Amino acid sequence: MKTLTKIALIIIPTITLSMTAAAHDPSMHAKKAEKADCSKMDHSKMDMKDPVAVAMMKKCMKQNEKSKDKMDHSKMKNMDHSKMKKNEHSATKKDEHDH
Amino acid sequence: MKIVKLLLLLIVLGIVSVITVMYSGIVDVAADEPHSELVYWLLEETRENSIKKAAESIEVPDLSDPELLLTGGADYEYMCSSCHLKPGQIESDMSLGLYPAPPNLAVSDESHKGHEHGDEMQSARKNFWVIKHGIKASGMPAWGKTHDDQRIWAMVAFIKRLPTLTPEQYQVLTAVE
Ligand code: HEC
Ligand SMILES: [Cu+2]
Repeated sequence: MKTLTKIALIIIPTITLSMTAAAHDPSMHAKKAEKADCSKMDHSKMDMKDPVAVAMMKKCMKQNEKSKDKMDHSKMKNMDHSKMKKNEHSATKKDEHDH
Repeated sequence: MKIVKLLLLLIVLGIVSVITVMYSGIVDVAADEPHSELVYWLLEETRENSIKKAAESIEVPDLSDPELLLTGGADYEYMCSSCHLKPGQIESDMSLGLYPAPPNLAVSDESHKGHEHGDEMQSARKNFWVIKHGIKASGMPAWGKTHDDQRIWAMVAFIKRLPTLTPEQYQVLTAVE
């Protein structure tokens, strides 16, 4: 067998396998994905008791830390900034949970 | 003795007819040729009952954390929207070409009748099970082989809110930063 063939036989499966291993890492998604379009958000319509609204705020604050002061928070209903802290582990903060 | 003979004859006949059908090639497996009503009903009932039973004892965690919508949203956009669509989209190559067709998860259950959906807990359980294990001989993959339960529950939480989202909300929630 030619050396080239041997190399190919080793390299092709290795690359294929390592690619499948990486395919499910969320950071892979970032490459072709577009940025969140936060400009169309209508804050006057957002109810901060709604997880969807809170999640959108989190996303947009993370995306653009510097411009967060330009948002007009005064119009939002039930705004609670403590729920939007940049901590990753809000899932563990079960204490402020209300049903 | 007579009954035994009759039974044996019936069994042999049954096997012979199954083999005839299998090898004659008369069964149409084309995805663009729908099942007959009887076959459709048989498969649908079998699937629904199988999922119901398998998902029965799954414990549903708290799905109200906003963070789940962000993780689940990004995953949904990347892995599921090509088949299950998104707000503002009514068809895709996959949604039209696959048979059985992937349900449009961006519209509420009321808009697709034909099978029961049960209460919220029940549908969360069923969705979790389907996402984790997939559905045989359909386009629905088993995502549990490559994703942990945490990621799957996040998608369940996202799917729950998906029918209520506008295209703009969907874009913000699912975009990667
Ligand atoms: C290649 C296409 C395809 C992809 C990608 C796909 N699905 Fe599916 N999915 C299907 C099909 C087809 C069905 C219906 C199977 C059937 O009816 O037997 C289905 C069924 C489902 C169901 C059951 C819906 C119901 O009401 O019965 C859920 C929930 C689901 N998929 C979630 C997801 C999620 C979440 C993802 C992404 C992680 C995903 N699917 C990715 C094709 C796909
Ligand atoms: Cu359904």
